[in-house]
Amino acid sequence: MPMTDQSSDLVQGTLDMLILKTLALEPMHGYGVAARIEQMSGGIFRVNAGSLFVAFERLQRAGTLKGEWKTTENSRRAKYYSLTERGRKRLDSETREWTKQVAAIARILEAS
Amino acid sequence: MSVLRNIADGLRFLFRKEQVSRELDEELGGFLEMAVDEKMKRGMSRKDALRAVRLERGTLDITKEIVWSARWESFVETLWRDLRFAVRVLRKNPVFTAVVVLTLTLGIGANTAIFTLIDTVMLKPLPVPNSKQLYRLGDNNNCCVMVGTQDGGSFVLYSYPLYEHLRDETPEFSELAAFASYVSDLSVRRETDIAAQPYRGEFVSGNYFAMLGAGSFAGRLLMPADDTSGAPRAAVMNYHTWQRRFGADRSLIGSTVNINGVPYTITGVTAPEFYGDTLRSDPPDFWLPLAANPDRWLFGAEPEWLYLMGRLRPEAASGQVQARLTVELQQWLGSHREVIPERDRNDIARQYIRLTPGGRGVEQMQTNYAMGLRLLVTLSALLLLIACANIANLLLARGSANLSQTAVRLALGASRSRLVRQMLTESVLLALVGGAAGLYLAYVGTHAILLVAFRGAQYVPIEARPSLAVLAFALLLSVATGIVFGIAPAWMTSQSYPADALRRAGRSTVDRSSVVQKSLVIVQVAFSIVLLIGAGLVTQSLRNLEYQNFGFVTEGRLIVNIAPSLSGYTADKLDGLYQRLQDTLPQVPGVLSASLSWYSPLGGNNANERVFIEGKPPDYRWTAPSWDRVGPHYFETIGTRLLQGRTIEERDTPAAQHVAVINETFARRFFPNENPIGQHFGMGDASHRGDYEIVGIVEDTKYQDARAPAYATFFLPLLQSPPGEPVRGWVGAVELHVAGKPESVEPAVRRALADIDPNLTVLNMVSFGEQVARNFNQERLIARLAELFGALALILACVGLYGVTAYAVARRTNEIGIRMALGAEKKNVMGLVLRAALGQVGLGLAIGVPVALAAGQVMASQLYGVKSYDAAIVGLAAVILTACALLAASVPAWRAMRVDPMVALRYE
Repeated sequence: MPMTDQSSDLVQGTLDMLILKTLALEPMHGYGVAARIEQMSGGIFRVNAGSLFVAFERLQRAGTLKGEWKTTENSRRAKYYSLTERGRKRLDSETREWTKQVAAIARILEAS
Repeated sequence: MSVLRNIADGLRFLFRKEQVSRELDEELGGFLEMAVDEKMKRGMSRKDALRAVRLERGTLDITKEIVWSARWESFVETLWRDLRFAVRVLRKNPVFTAVVVLTLTLGIGANTAIFTLIDTVMLKPLPVPNSKQLYRLGDNNNCCVMVGTQDGGSFVLYSYPLYEHLRDETPEFSELAAFASYVSDLSVRRETDIAAQPYRGEFVSGNYFAMLGAGSFAGRLLMPADDTSGAPRAAVMNYHTWQRRFGADRSLIGSTVNINGVPYTITGVTAPEFYGDTLRSDPPDFWLPLAANPDRWLFGAEPEWLYLMGRLRPEAASGQVQARLTVELQQWLGSHREVIPERDRNDIARQYIRLTPGGRGVEQMQTNYAMGLRLLVTLSALLLLIACANIANLLLARGSANLSQTAVRLALGASRSRLVRQMLTESVLLALVGGAAGLYLAYVGTHAILLVAFRGAQYVPIEARPSLAVLAFALLLSVATGIVFGIAPAWMTSQSYPADALRRAGRSTVDRSSVVQKSLVIVQVAFSIVLLIGAGLVTQSLRNLEYQNFGFVTEGRLIVNIAPSLSGYTADKLDGLYQRLQDTLPQVPGVLSASLSWYSPLGGNNANERVFIEGKPPDYRWTAPSWDRVGPHYFETIGTRLLQGRTIEERDTPAAQHVAVINETFARRFFPNENPIGQHFGMGDASHRGDYEIVGIVEDTKYQDARAPAYATFFLPLLQSPPGEPVRGWVGAVELHVAGKPESVEPAVRRALADIDPNLTVLNMVSFGEQVARNFNQERLIARLAELFGALALILACVGLYGVTAYAVARRTNEIGIRMALGAEKKNVMGLVLRAALGQVGLGLAIGVPVALAAGQVMASQLYGVKSYDAAIVGLAAVILTACALLAASVPAWRAMRVDPMVALRYE
């Protein structure tokens, strides 16, 4: 069965960065993260569950995220993810790197 | 840190799979529910919302699968599942598994054994540090004692003064050592011993151990100070001799033992792994300083008897040193023209020294076995290929038979890569099991091979321990084999389209894999015939060697090697000893006749001397003839026929007329058109030409080289020295012609010898047949292994043919049923099956025989009395192969014949 996966354009590192950024504000559950990314990107990125949870697992194993079971406002149990100290550092460095690269790419594209 | 966490999480997953899986379920479920809630909030019905979420986000199961397969441990899990599945499958097909594992065991075992052999015999350096710095002065293994210029100009044997010259003039060597080119017999007696015991010793220069860099196990090794004529006599003992013959007695070190009648101090014991400069059976028990050699005449400038080996300084270039050594050699020979016989003086300018790597010491075995081992490597590689083809065939046949099952699995959603991986797991598992069994077989096999290679040895200095390199080789081989034969069937299986496969399963007549299978059988047959013909050639060569007419009879003959010189005898007492031996030994029950000689045929000894014939000019065209000293009844005792005149008898005493018996070749060479009887000749120089009168001619006998024609040889009485020279006729061998098995009289002979003189050193007793057989250790090893490989190849090829034929019959059951229903007779059906099998065999033969003939050309130089295109061998090999193949094919053919048309038509 084919799946629509509009985030497939995202390079692996970008999804990780977006997740970290989203969680930097407050701990959130999986759906919250997906919804926030979609909302903030103006609906351009759609994150499917497979990529998202693979990323969660990867980030947890890298020690940048930690998960905790809590109850949602709709009184449902969900796993809330939050950044660790290491995650915060990684977000900082990745943001800096990203900004640098985007600026560089932009300069190249502008210099027609 | 994160790697550790990754592993920890992975392990947590593996061990608490249920819980982790439940958590993921709950989390994913929550995720999808929230997405649905969101959609419903926007006014969708729950049904629509569920559908939309599934489309946008994926279903729970697929997401789980994605998350799961992104983990590294999922790989482990799949592997584990595949492995368990593979074990289950293999256990359900015990015959298949057994055949495959056995085939692999044989293929891998044979190859590992051969590789272990090559590793231990051919590749292992001497067990000393930085063996790469060692170089030998000379490029062949000519032995013992020579005079004059050397074979083809390449110097290998050196006189003592020449050694000193080279040692002192070549500073590029940190050490340049000399050692006797042969091992000497010693008689060793401790003060507590009643009688002296025979041992083997090597005379080496004082810097020998320093040159090798060998360490001692206990005490100290020889030093230059030990190697002077005035120094107290010192000897070093082999570790294994110390262990086996002296019970590792520590008090021996530093104590005094009597060697050849002279007291020596045992200064130390060598390291356990040390075996000297040459890999051979029974390495020296003792190393003695050159200066201790009692044969003083060896220290003159004439006799060349030393091998030289040196450790090159790291900065020295071997090419330059080699050039320099040649210059030094030429200079020395030029300034010592008087020691070079006249005939050789023109050759002085052509003499040179070749520096060869000495890291493996004197490469006697290495040189002897090089060609044979190459042959064995080829044979064992062929065997492995046959084994692989066989297994590929078996897997292929099974893969095809399982086609419908595979089709079902594909249809149910198994991915092709998973199918291939699962089949690969199975093959690699098989290969590893076969590899482990093969390694064991190799271990046992190498032991057996070494026993054959070192037949007659009391101690073999190397162990048949598969080294790490061999282990890696076996593993690599088995895994590679697994992949090679695993890929073909797995790939073919993955090529099948489910619907297609399901439709034709059991009823097809065309099948791509059957072409491959038949080709594999043809290749197997071709390889097998090459192996069989190769085995036939080397076997015939060995038979020709062993059963040739040696010019003596080995049956019922016992050879006793003695060493009166080591037992304190002086020349004047020899006559008495020989008289007693000749009187007593024929009285021993079971002994028919007895005689004595300097040395016996094919026992490893040979002497030659230039002769001068009375009334003829000196003739330098020939190599010097061989000669031996023999006692009365010698020729009768060893079974050499007298052709003319008389043999040497009791009346040929030192005081009587000096006589000689010659062999046919000697007669033909020196007296082409005249009667040799009554002619005179002598040794040494022309003034001796009247010394000996020829009284008899005996048939040609091989004494030294069983492959070459007999040398021109003359025989002198034991004690008849040339006039004016002291009597010297040392006897080294006693020959006995006995009734029954030669071994049975051994105890009685030993007692008789002890009665004559308890101090007489008996080096060993061996039946004449065994003494001769030991000349063919190498040929025998090669032939036996080639036969073994040939037989295995035959079995494997037949198993392969059986497998393919049986499979074809099973697949064609339907077709056969139809044929029979339409009126085909049973014998037609059988013919159908057999014709197909014979066609493959015929094609295989057509490919294999020319290849074998070409290979025979390459081997021809190594064969004795066998033509490379021996029609009988080729024919016999082809007949054997065809007969076995027919037998293998007839089982399924018979089964085909008994097919019941009604059953067959319904067969699926």
